[in-house]
Amino acid sequence: MSANEVIELVKASGLRGRGGAGFPTGLKWSFVPKDHQGAKYLVCNNDEGEPGTFKDRYICELSPHMLIEGMCIAAYAIGATKGYIYTRYEFFEEIRWLETAIAEAYEAGYLGKNILGSELSFDLDHYTGAGAYICGEETGLLSSLEGKKGQPKLKPPFPAVAGYLGCPTIVNNTETLAAVPWIVEHGAESYRAIGTDKSPGTKLFCISGAVKRPGVYELPLGYPFMRFLEEDAGGMIDGKKLKGCIPGGASAAILTAEELQDVKLDYEDLATKGSMLGSGAVIIIDTEQSIVELLKVIVDFFHHESCGQCTPCREGTGWLSNIMHSFSAGNGTVGDLDLMPTICNNMMGRTICALSDAAALPTLAIIDKFRHELQEQVT
Amino acid sequence: MSKSLIIDDKHYTATDGQTVIEVATANDIYIPHFCWHGGLSIAGVCRFCMVEVEGRPKLEIACNLPVVDGMVVRTKSEQVKEAHKWALEFHLINHPLDCPICDQAGECGLQDYYMEVGKYPAQMTQPKVLKPKNLDVGNDLILDTERCILCSRCVRFEEEVTKTSALGIFDRGDRSIIGVYSEAKIEHNYTTNLVDICPVGAFTSKDFRFKKRVWFTEDVESVCPGCATGCAINVAHNADLNRYYRVKPRYSEVNGHWMCNFGRTIYDHLNVEHRLLTSYQRDQATGKLTKSATVTVLTELHKQLVVAQQRVALLVSSQYTNEEYQALFSYFTGDLGITDVYLWRSKNEDPNVFDGILMRGDRNANSRGLDKVLADFKIEAGTDFDSLLSGDYQVVVALAPEIFATFDKSIDDQLAELAKLPFVSLWANDKRVLDFSWAQVVSTKCFIEKRGSFTNYNDQNRQLVQPINPISGEIKDLGEVIELLAKCSTAEIACQ
Repeated sequence: MSANEVIELVKASGLRGRGGAGFPTGLKWSFVPKDHQGAKYLVCNNDEGEPGTFKDRYICELSPHMLIEGMCIAAYAIGATKGYIYTRYEFFEEIRWLETAIAEAYEAGYLGKNILGSELSFDLDHYTGAGAYICGEETGLLSSLEGKKGQPKLKPPFPAVAGYLGCPTIVNNTETLAAVPWIVEHGAESYRAIGTDKSPGTKLFCISGAVKRPGVYELPLGYPFMRFLEEDAGGMIDGKKLKGCIPGGASAAILTAEELQDVKLDYEDLATKGSMLGSGAVIIIDTEQSIVELLKVIVDFFHHESCGQCTPCREGTGWLSNIMHSFSAGNGTVGDLDLMPTICNNMMGRTICALSDAAALPTLAIIDKFRHELQEQVT
Repeated sequence: MSKSLIIDDKHYTATDGQTVIEVATANDIYIPHFCWHGGLSIAGVCRFCMVEVEGRPKLEIACNLPVVDGMVVRTKSEQVKEAHKWALEFHLINHPLDCPICDQAGECGLQDYYMEVGKYPAQMTQPKVLKPKNLDVGNDLILDTERCILCSRCVRFEEEVTKTSALGIFDRGDRSIIGVYSEAKIEHNYTTNLVDICPVGAFTSKDFRFKKRVWFTEDVESVCPGCATGCAINVAHNADLNRYYRVKPRYSEVNGHWMCNFGRTIYDHLNVEHRLLTSYQRDQATGKLTKSATVTVLTELHKQLVVAQQRVALLVSSQYTNEEYQALFSYFTGDLGITDVYLWRSKNEDPNVFDGILMRGDRNANSRGLDKVLADFKIEAGTDFDSLLSGDYQVVVALAPEIFATFDKSIDDQLAELAKLPFVSLWANDKRVLDFSWAQVVSTKCFIEKRGSFTNYNDQNRQLVQPINPISGEIKDLGEVIELLAKCSTAEIACQ
C-alpha cells in the first residue's frame, strides 16, 4: 500500500479522533503538505486528562505494541520519520510500560532505520509531560514538547502545516492510533460494519460514579446508554437513583435521567441531545449528589487548569469558580444564576483553544437543567 | 498582489500578508486591542480585537486575521460591540481600581476604553485576586503585577527586540504573574520601552512617575540628539511652566517604535535650572564672569577677532544643526577666511560601536552633517584636542556640545584645559560651564528650541519641526548669534 492509500483507507473507515473532538483521522492526515521538504512529526497524545477518562492507560498497559504499530502506520502515511508519545506526568507505571515496549520494538526491528529491512524508517521516543490538563490540547502539547510553557498556540497555522518545531506535525490520541492496525488488517468495510453509519467502529468508554461495575468497556458506537448502564455496568450501586450523566468527560453537557433514556453512545446522537461523546468518559450522577458541589468541582477544575493566556478564559473560569464558592458557602444569589450564563456565553468561542468552552458548556447545561436545585441554595 | 476588502461598508486595499487590524490601523479605524503591537509578534491573547467577518460563524480576532480578497468586515456591529464590552469586563474584574494613584492614568488603554464604552459598576462582587506590587525590576522600571492584564507585550519585547528574555509569565490561570527570573534585574538600555508598550500601569517609569500628570503635558515632536541615529521623539512639555518631563519614541522609519534609555534622559538639560539664561563676560576689574547681554559679548568678540587677525581657531562639536553650521562657516570661513577648525569630540567615544538595536557609538546628533558642511567649505578639520591647546591661538571660538552626558566625565577635563587658553568665546547652553573661567560665554539654544535638521549616520535628514520658545530671549541659535556678530562688523551697531 502506498502512503496515500493508507490515508484513503483510514478516511474510508470513518475513524474519528477518540481524544474528544472527534475529527476524522484520515482527513487530518491528508492536511500534511505533500511537497514539504524536511522533517515531519507524528505525536501520540497520551496526556489523558479529561476528568472521568481512564481509557488510554489501559492501552498502555494491555497492548502498547498495538499503539506502536499504529504509530508506524500513521508515520508511513504522513511521511514522518520521528514520533513522540507524550504521556501525562501522573502515569508513572504507564510511562514505564511504554518505555519498555518502545525498547522491545527497537529490539525486534519494528522501530528505527529500515524497519524489517524495508525503506521505512521511524524513530519513536517517549516524553513525559508535567501534569497540565491543557497539554492534552494538541498545540499546548506541542508547546510543552518543545520545552516551553504548555500553552496552546494561535491558529492558523495548524499543526499539520506548522507544528512541532515549526514542522508539519500530526497529533493523534492513543486510542485513535491503536485503532489503525485493525483497520489496515481488516479493511475499511469490516470497520464500518461495526457501529453506526456516521460513527463507525468501537470506542472505549470509561464509566464511573454510582455504578456497580465501573471501568473501561469497549463498545460499538451507537450502543444504547441505558443498556450500558444497566447490563454492562451492572446498574446503580446501593439502590441509588440516576439523576443524570455527563457522557463525555467534564467538558460535556450534563444529560438528565429523563434525557438519557433513549440516548445512543455515538457522536451524532449525543450532539443531537446537546452534549457530546467527547473522550467517552461516562460519569454517572445519582440523586444524592449535590448539584452545587458538582458544578463547583467542575468549574474549580477548569479554573485550576486554565493556562491564563486568553482573558475570557483566565478571568471567566476564576469568576465562575468564585461564584460557585459563594454558592457552596450559602451566599449564592439569584443574580448569580442569571450572571453565570452570560459569563459563559462570553467565554465561548472567544479564545485560542477550547478550554474556555469546556468550562462554559457544562456550566450552562447544569444551570439550565438544574436551576431549581441551585435556587434552593440561594440566599 | 493587493487585495481589496470592505470594513464597515467602506472599500480598502491591503497588501499581501496584511492582517485586518493592520489595514484598519493604517486607515484610522480603531479596533480596540491590548496585546497586539505593530512592533511585536502576534499573541492573540487579549481577545479584544474581535470583528465580524461575513460568512464566518464566529467572531474573529482582527490581529490574526489575514485579509482575504473580497472580505467583508464589521467592527461596530451590535455583536462586536457586545464582545468588546465583555472583553473589557473580563479585563477589569481583577484589575485594581486605583486610577487616582496610578501614574498611567490619562494614557491608560484600559481607562480610556472604559470611559468610552464602560462607565458601569463592576459586576463581580467577589474579592479580586491580589498580586505583588511596587517591585523594582530594573533600570527605570517599577512593576505592579496586580495592574498587569497579561497581554505579554513586555515578554515579547524582551524575546524579540532586545533578545534578553528577562521576563516571563509565572503560574497560570488568573494567578498568572509577570515577573523576572529569580532576583534578576532588567538592566539593558531599552527598558523604558516596556513602560511605553505596557497598555496599563503595570510598568511605570521610575524617572517619570509621580512627577506630572500626563494631561498637564503636551507632546512636542522632535528628534533625539543623543546619538547619530536620530530617533523620532515626543518630548513632554508643560507650556505654562516651560518645563520638560520626559522623552518618548515616536514611530518613524528610522527607529520604528523604540528608543534607548539614554535618549530618554535628554530632556533634563532643557530645563531652567541647567540653562544659561544669558551670556556672560569676564569682568576686567574682578576677573569674574558676569552676566552680560549677548550683543555686548559679541561686540567684544568682534573686537578680539579683528585684533587676532588669522590667529583664530574654531572648536566645533557635532551637536548643532546643518543650518547652524552653514551660517557659522559662511561667516568665519567665507567672510573672515578662518580655516583652523578642530572637532570637539569625546575622548571616550568609539564611533564604530553599534548596539545592534538603535544606539550608535557616535553620540553626536550631526557628525555627518558637520562633515558635509566642512567638505563644502573645503576645510580639513583637526581632530586632536591637544594640538588646539598648543596651537598658540589668540582667540578660540568654541561650540560646546549641547549634551554633556554624551561625553561622560571627559567633558570636565576638556573644559578645564580649554579654559586655560587666553581668550575663549565659549558658546554653550549648560550652566555647568560657569564652573570654569572663560573670557566670555554665549548662551545658545537647545535642540527643542531650534528649527533645522540633523543628518543621521545613514544620511537621512532628521528635521526639527516644532521649535519651542526658549526660556529666555537672550538664548540664541548659531544663526542668530552669527547674524548679530556680522552686524557688529558691517553696521558696527554697538562697536562705537
